[in-house]
Amino acid sequence: MEKKKLYWRICCVAAIGLCILTFTPLVIPQGIATPALGGVPYSLWTSFIITVLLVVLTYIGTRVHPGMQNEEEL
Amino acid sequence: MIFWVWVFGLIYAGLLVFASLKSYKKNRSSEEFMMAGSNIGLTLGVLTFAAALFSTFTFLGMPDFFRINGVGAWIFLAVSDGAMVFLLLWFGYHIRNRVKGMEFRGVSGLISRCYENKLAGYVFFLSAFLFLIPYVGIQIQGIAIFMDAAFPGSFPAWGWSAGIVLIMLVYSEIGGLKAIIFSDAIQGLLLLGVIWIIGWACLSHFGGIGPMFEKVGAMQEDLLSTPGPQGLLTPQFLIASLIAILMIPVTQPQFTTRIVVMKSMKTMQLMAVSLGAFAILVILPTIFIGMYGADLYSEYGRDEFFANAFLYDQPDAVAALAIIGLIAAGLSTTNAQIFALGSELRGLLRGNENSIMRKTKIGIFVFSIIAFFFSIIVFDQLVLLARVSFAGTGIMGPMIILGILSDRKVSPAIIYFSLGGLLVFLSSLAGFIPDMYAGLRLDLLLFVSLGLVALISHLTGKKQQLVPPVKDR
Repeated sequence: MEKKKLYWRICCVAAIGLCILTFTPLVIPQGIATPALGGVPYSLWTSFIITVLLVVLTYIGTRVHPGMQNEEEL
Repeated sequence: MIFWVWVFGLIYAGLLVFASLKSYKKNRSSEEFMMAGSNIGLTLGVLTFAAALFSTFTFLGMPDFFRINGVGAWIFLAVSDGAMVFLLLWFGYHIRNRVKGMEFRGVSGLISRCYENKLAGYVFFLSAFLFLIPYVGIQIQGIAIFMDAAFPGSFPAWGWSAGIVLIMLVYSEIGGLKAIIFSDAIQGLLLLGVIWIIGWACLSHFGGIGPMFEKVGAMQEDLLSTPGPQGLLTPQFLIASLIAILMIPVTQPQFTTRIVVMKSMKTMQLMAVSLGAFAILVILPTIFIGMYGADLYSEYGRDEFFANAFLYDQPDAVAALAIIGLIAAGLSTTNAQIFALGSELRGLLRGNENSIMRKTKIGIFVFSIIAFFFSIIVFDQLVLLARVSFAGTGIMGPMIILGILSDRKVSPAIIYFSLGGLLVFLSSLAGFIPDMYAGLRLDLLLFVSLGLVALISHLTGKKQQLVPPVKDR
């Protein structure tokens, strides 16, 4: 249970971290479209990866959320 | 094209009639009618949430937003949706625990109970009413514009709008929330299929993703980075949009209801993950349509771009599918919103159950009529109006999260602050006060201030002994 709590907190911190990262020049340098990846502009491919990572974190969250164990269903 | 519209239209109408009749029960309880028996499985749950979320706003609005503002539009919606599904996991767990053992009668009813203060429910209902109705109106208008382009001169735009409202009313009256959820499933799949067919056709025009961005970049380089040619997608705008979209499952009652009526906690969790994947799949082809528009129709207005990209440039069968897909997208979102407003009204009413249901149905009718009039008079960019709707209801987020999560007896101050915040936001929309202060957006300032008030209210609240939930009367 304690481990799940820790993993869940790590997921939350990672999700918040990714959101913050998105709004820094690391992902959205103003007016800069390079380096491109396979022709895709920089901000688009980096933010696409962030979106996928957020969905993956949500999936991990479903596995480690501490309240879900022994959850009595409605 | 007319032939194909009839073919797809009849199939779609047949499925809707089937869904209504399958959901219809003669002596159903109000709980069955308004909450679908709170027994929605994973597939239906994902599709109904997705169909309510991805509407004409996504189908038409996002391609237009990419066309005008460039690739940063992905961050505006897709990154925000990715974060939203994570929040959905967390908030869904708490709200489902909160309503366990009681009859859920909408967020207004729940929040009144949490604060033991009816004003909280009224303030929430006011914000939902003020910000959902124009959004419903512009979606109905979006369909009407599209139909007018497809069948010029056959009906005036208001005639199409009236027809859509009528279908919505008849349909929800027969089948209740369950029919809406069934139709959402049909509409969600249709939306995904159609947007990919058109998106793929637009991508083929360039011959691949690389050549697409190369060609668009050569014409208008600003489209390939933020803040975009119009300078709209600044970090501040994107952060405020993220917060507004994060608050959607908390403050837009059609989504909160769907979280609560899921069969189990497990299905709700899996729904959140699947919704994230669905969001990526739906938003991705709108980039291709937007870039296609930037290449061929950059000088055109909104309506001409829609008509060309979705109708005139497509083979007849695809154009007909686009028409039906758009009707499906608009109808699913608008009836979800109107029905949710009815559900919120029900949560505020007291008295005999039959009388409450009668008033709720009258309420749904009145909301539909108001939305119809809005569809005639409102004119704005779909995406920006949707964003105002998300931000407007998002102002209620701190009040709702505090009420649901706090285990303390908190001060009602947050209710008055939220009402004040709502009035300030409305004043700025009306142009009475500025929307920027010291270089900061007003909506961002409101989110942060109300969040702080909620935090202080929690920290200064009195700890109370937890009592088991009382069965709702």
